[in-house]
Amino acid sequence: MSVLELSGVSKRFGGLQALSGISLSVSPGEVLGLIGPNGAGKSTLVSCITGVLRIDGGTIRFGDRDIQGMAPHQRARRGIARTFQKVRLADQLTVYENVAAGLASRWFAHANGWPLVFRPLSAAGIAKAVNRTLEQVGLADVSGTIVKSLPFGRRHFVEIARAMVSEPKLLLLDEPATGLTETERERLAMLVNGITADGCALILIEHDLELVGRLCHRVTVINQGHHIFTGTPAAAQTEPEVVRAYLGMNQLIGGGADDACH
Amino acid sequence: MSRRILLIAAFAVIAALPLTFSAFWINMVISALIFSLAVFSINLLTGLTGLLSFGQAGFVGIGAYTLGVLAKQGTPPLLAGLYGVLLAMLFGFLLGLPAARLKGHYLAIGTLGFGILIYQLLTNSVDITRGPMGLIGIPTGGIDKQTWYLVMLCVCLTLLATLFYIDRYSALGVTLKMVRHDEIAAQASGINVFAVKLIAFTVSAGFAGLSGALFAAYVRFLTPDLFNEQESFRYMMMAVVGGIGSPLGGFAASLMLTMIPEGLRALGEDNFRLLIYGTMVLFVLWFLPAGIGGLIERRRK
Repeated sequence: MSVLELSGVSKRFGGLQALSGISLSVSPGEVLGLIGPNGAGKSTLVSCITGVLRIDGGTIRFGDRDIQGMAPHQRARRGIARTFQKVRLADQLTVYENVAAGLASRWFAHANGWPLVFRPLSAAGIAKAVNRTLEQVGLADVSGTIVKSLPFGRRHFVEIARAMVSEPKLLLLDEPATGLTETERERLAMLVNGITADGCALILIEHDLELVGRLCHRVTVINQGHHIFTGTPAAAQTEPEVVRAYLGMNQLIGGGADDACH
Repeated sequence: MSRRILLIAAFAVIAALPLTFSAFWINMVISALIFSLAVFSINLLTGLTGLLSFGQAGFVGIGAYTLGVLAKQGTPPLLAGLYGVLLAMLFGFLLGLPAARLKGHYLAIGTLGFGILIYQLLTNSVDITRGPMGLIGIPTGGIDKQTWYLVMLCVCLTLLATLFYIDRYSALGVTLKMVRHDEIAAQASGINVFAVKLIAFTVSAGFAGLSGALFAAYVRFLTPDLFNEQESFRYMMMAVVGGIGSPLGGFAASLMLTMIPEGLRALGEDNFRLLIYGTMVLFVLWFLPAGIGGLIERRRK
């Protein structure tokens, strides 16, 4: 039984067909790599899954429910968490406060959750989850630090912590390894393994193919809005169409440009 | 522990102060305390949630006139005040419906428009508000100045402490600040941004309405000019000088900015007085861009 199931998802921006008939699925505890060249539609797909964008065709099922009509915050409350390609944190707040904000999806998940937000931030119910997550991502030492004063790499981890803290069923990481040091990359790899060991499904969008190969059980490759491959990372490397997409052969010699000329 | 004793002592001194004041200054302090509630309403809306409002005087006016009109018709002042707050909240909710979808300059213009609309309504609904002729002789149930002062002090300090707690320590504070910093990230964390903004508008309008109702009950005389857009700007200025996210700074600023121009009256000529006042405000903003609240914050660290 898969956590997330997309079938035939399409998205059009005016004259640009950003996604055409994308299908994919992720199971609990699985890491699915989502790769493709720049402009392939990866981030658009993430926006469609999280609800920032509405799809034009196809279906998105999460758990046993169709979530197409749901707003982003409703999807978050059902257990879809994400990080952003460009880090989106409240710069002037502390690491602790930023991570605590991730619990909002739990506070507001029930109609009777409103009283929860009047609790102090240091309440046991909040502190336990936040501190455990900070420990897990290796930020316990900077819990009280203002995010603005953190080095760039560590901010990525604050975002991951904010996404993790609510114990989501599905976590989307949008290029988490960008700008990380070698040690931080290793920590990220360990973290991904830890998260999925708890049964969380994970979609990893990443340009670092070595990391993708190491962490992902399966990869889905998209190019120019089309699904071109799903399989093991090893198989992807020998798949001619994937190789072509990554080397940009389409643009250099392929039919696409020619068709446009005729 | 010694801090607590110090706080209690400070409160006792402040509470006893009016015994030594002239009637003029007691009036001034009470007005300043009433204004500070409107400044709190901006702190909540702009400081915490990041929504700019240039129409707060409209809500103050709704609160004031509801109390004035109803109390004159025989409703007990306390009940009339409650209606005033509730009506202001209703208007806050209704304004929030479109305004929560607006951002930045558009929101500023939208709320400014709302303020002007309310001002025009108060001016032109002569049958109800008596328009520019003013509403005179509002009954208040006869409370003396000393009691007024104490009640206002308690109301202000309670709200100040509540806002301070929400801002600094509560989960709600983080929720509101997430909306202010980044709406997309807030949504992704399960926060219903629209609902939060709508609630912020409603509650903020309630604070402003309370300020208006208390003003009406205290001054007992209302004209629409007391609630025009200039007043909205004045509240905003108090909030900015105080430090937009700092309830404590806003409180200090509303006291200072109400009393300084009056104190400068001793200098005589009116325009000259305002010139000094304006220069002072500029200097505060020049040297303390984060306002008085920023100064307090710096001292804490």
